[in-house]
Amino acid sequence: MNQQATNSAASQEILRIENLHKRFGNLEVLKGVNLSVRRAETIVIIGPSGGGKSTLLRCINRLEEYQGGKIFLDGVDIQQIDVNKLRTRVGMVFQQFNLFPHMNVLQNLILAPIKVKNMSKEQAIEKAHLLLQRVGLLDKIYAFPEQLSGGQKQRVAIARALMMDPEVMLFDEPTSALDPELVGEVLDVMKNLAESGMTMLVVTHEMGFARDAADRIVFISNGVVEEEGPPEQILKQPQKQRTKEFLRRILE
Amino acid sequence: MEAFYELLKNFNFLLIGAWETLKLTSFSVGIGLILGTFIGMGRLSRYRIINYPCTAYVEFLRGTPLLVQISIIYFGLPQVGIQLAPYPAAVTALGLNSGAYIAEIVRAGIQSIPRGQYEAARSLGLTHWQSMRYIILPQAFRNILPALGNEFITLTKDSSLASVIGVSELMRSGQFVISRTFQTFSIYFGIAFIYFIMTLVISRIVRYAERRLSVG
Ligand SMILES: Nc1ncnc2c1ncn2[C@@H]1O[C@H](COP(=O)(O)OP(=O)(O)O)[C@@H](O)[C@H]1O
Ligand SMILES: [Mg+2]
Repeated sequence: MNQQATNSAASQEILRIENLHKRFGNLEVLKGVNLSVRRAETIVIIGPSGGGKSTLLRCINRLEEYQGGKIFLDGVDIQQIDVNKLRTRVGMVFQQFNLFPHMNVLQNLILAPIKVKNMSKEQAIEKAHLLLQRVGLLDKIYAFPEQLSGGQKQRVAIARALMMDPEVMLFDEPTSALDPELVGEVLDVMKNLAESGMTMLVVTHEMGFARDAADRIVFISNGVVEEEGPPEQILKQPQKQRTKEFLRRILE
Repeated sequence: MEAFYELLKNFNFLLIGAWETLKLTSFSVGIGLILGTFIGMGRLSRYRIINYPCTAYVEFLRGTPLLVQISIIYFGLPQVGIQLAPYPAAVTALGLNSGAYIAEIVRAGIQSIPRGQYEAARSLGLTHWQSMRYIILPQAFRNILPALGNEFITLTKDSSLASVIGVSELMRSGQFVISRTFQTFSIYFGIAFIYFIMTLVISRIVRYAERRLSVG
């Protein structure tokens, strides 16, 4: 590879995970994870339960601290970035939505931009309108979370994360807590987001989404990246035995 | 008949004492709330230097009699150069005492909020304090309102101990009336009746507030 190609590849890289090690007490959960993510790339992370997928995502925004290895965001070690600043740059969407139940949708959206980014209230409200329109929930702006369906809650949670203008979005099984008929509306929002150029790391068991929206599938098992590649390759011709077994189980 | 007459005649005087009891209790619970909120949060800190003193505080104040605590503050402290008038001494003792109980209530309230709420707040870049202030504590307080109401009721009754250091709250007012009329039965019974009405009203108010909040 010539020098120019290397440079441009490097500048494309927004997230780099090097030899990441994470322990909970004596339990080693991540055993040397390596991953490089390019700007605007959508990565789908799959793997057996307990393999360390959630832990990996949570290390990236430092909800968990790790014991070894390095994570770089846009070339800078995330340990060198103020943790609250880091979290405005790396948004996260949880399986359980975690909307704030004592606040309506608008309040859920505007709290953090106002308190963390010192955005004016007017500006935050305007931005909330735009994002709620984008996830198709403008009519629910004054609703409280308990009045929303699971799918609507998750779309609000996505809009809430987007309020901070993150450079990377992490999704930890965003549709696993949803009734089957509500999964589609959330995945549609995520597909749109991916097409709009957001960098996304998505832990999911939705293989349809992986096939359609992922640029790359990463298979994590036992705390390491077992295999990675484009969707066609991973889904049709997995190389590793573990990947094959996992896909057979999940697709049947 | 005579007894009943004396009670009626002095009822206004007792009501003034009841009003003082209510003020004394409110001040004390106010102090207890502020103290209890911080100590309750401190009990959950992962830093020992914060956690241990808060735990020690709670254990000590819950493990010793309120009457002894009042005595330490009113009779004991002057020996080391801190002299408090009866009323401030009572508020201090009752406030410190309720702070310990409220700390436990607040701690349980915080623990009743799912961990995901705190993580979601932090994942948006809010600091620990911002997350507590805007996300965790508002939800926690909604949950612990009944327990706080109970604490207010307990303290309304316990504030009668302030009579021993001469604070003219309800109990003391009653004793004063007795010293003039010698009607021990009717006056003490009248005092009990007034305490009972106060705690009844407070518990109704708390229940009403609770229902209002759970709707919103
Ligand atoms: N806070 C924690 N304390 C102790 N062990 C944990 C904690 N979080 C996760 N683990 C353990 O780490 C392992 C990986 O968990 P996780 O990252 O959630 O896997 P996945 O998301 O792939 O299912 C599991 O064995 C889990 O029990
Ligand atoms: Mg998980």
